Amino acid sequence: MAGIELLSDQGYRLDGRKATELRKVQARLGVFAQADGSAYLEQGNTKVLAVVYGPHEMRGSRSRTLHDRAVINCQYSMATFSTAERKRRPHGDRKSTEMSLHLKQTFEAAVMTQLFPRSQIDIYVKILQSDGGNYSVCVNAATLAVIDAGIPMRDYVCACTVGFVDETPLADLCYAEESGGVSSLALALLPRGGQIALVQMDARLHQDHLEALIEAATTACKGVSKVLDEVVRQHLQEASVLTGED
Amino acid sequence: MSPMKLCVPGESLCSEGDCNPGAGVYLRHGYIYSSLAGFVLKTTEGEKLPVISVVRETEAQLLPDVGAIVTCKVTSTNPRFAKVHILYVGSTPLKDRFRGTIRKEDVRATEKDKVEIYKSFRTGDIVLAKVISLGDIQSNYLLTTAENELGVVVAHSEAGAQMIPISWCEMQCPLTHAKEFRKVARVQPEYLEA
Repeated sequence: MAGIELLSDQGYRLDGRKATELRKVQARLGVFAQADGSAYLEQGNTKVLAVVYGPHEMRGSRSRTLHDRAVINCQYSMATFSTAERKRRPHGDRKSTEMSLHLKQTFEAAVMTQLFPRSQIDIYVKILQSDGGNYSVCVNAATLAVIDAGIPMRDYVCACTVGFVDETPLADLCYAEESGGVSSLALALLPRGGQIALVQMDARLHQDHLEALIEAATTACKGVSKVLDEVVRQHLQEASVLTGED
Repeated sequence: MSPMKLCVPGESLCSEGDCNPGAGVYLRHGYIYSSLAGFVLKTTEGEKLPVISVVRETEAQLLPDVGAIVTCKVTSTNPRFAKVHILYVGSTPLKDRFRGTIRKEDVRATEKDKVEIYKSFRTGDIVLAKVISLGDIQSNYLLTTAENELGVVVAHSEAGAQMIPISWCEMQCPLTHAKEFRKVARVQPEYLEA
């Protein structure tokens, strides 16, 4: 394997976490006044800004209008200063297009689009600092932004990237672990019902380990959902204090 | 008043037998779940089951629905139809403009073929209309003004002054006293301010 030890004998990872420990999550809703919904989320050193507009009339190509549902339009982009080396093409490259498509599929599963026929919901995510688990942190930030916009959803969507090292699943990978040759799997979950919105993996993993890995990912996602729940409830409390409601 | 309960999307509120679902909730497997992050509101109306709904301080975007009365502004006219921007749905202002069309046949209820759009609407008029169709992929919302209470409410004359309605088909400019043709709405007296 790689020269760096991703999991020590005592069970500690590179940044001192245990195998099932998540990174510290800090989030805020309603960071922008102009957008319908916005959120800023930090998971460890990965920092993401998500902004939601809509539902509004279909823009651009009218032929993509759906007569019974809203169209969800996602755009994933990374700031040029987000990675160790300055990123040449922030969006429009293959990786970003693929991520945008995954985000779209994830949110089409959770947002109740049948309530808004012939309209469009835009979700824009921007990575300000990238330290692993990009897709997962984007999903978490976008969930908060959609809640802030008041768009009805079935449930939260929480995501986590997990990897497999030395027969142990590691939850919430950071960049060093992801690039250290670990087979990483990203899972997006609707925590209450335990329904999986998206599973993504492009590494090699033995079939026998898949079950354990998905188990670990589900547990990690439920952990994330608790944190996001706290953030949303706190934001509602603060908002109600300001407007003077009971 | 007891403090209202906070709820988040996906939170189970009650079972289907206890309450009727209102706005901001959805029904699944016989239970009512919240779909918004906000406060739970339970309203009872006499003998029927209470209606449970979730409200937020800021109202989410409203979409024009079939049968809704909308306030719109005419943006362009054509011998066959007038194109409008929908500004208000009922009394709620929209954050974003939706586009609509009023066809020649939908301007009046009587003598539909003798309608001239130029004598019914002009660009810049504020019109009260009703949504008859969401339209298909190619077209916008279809609106109608074929009722007495629907039609032009505010219009400016060629001189620039706001005109006063004289009859259902004419308005007069207070400065030049020139009469112009419009399809005028007969606004109910209780909605007019003194």
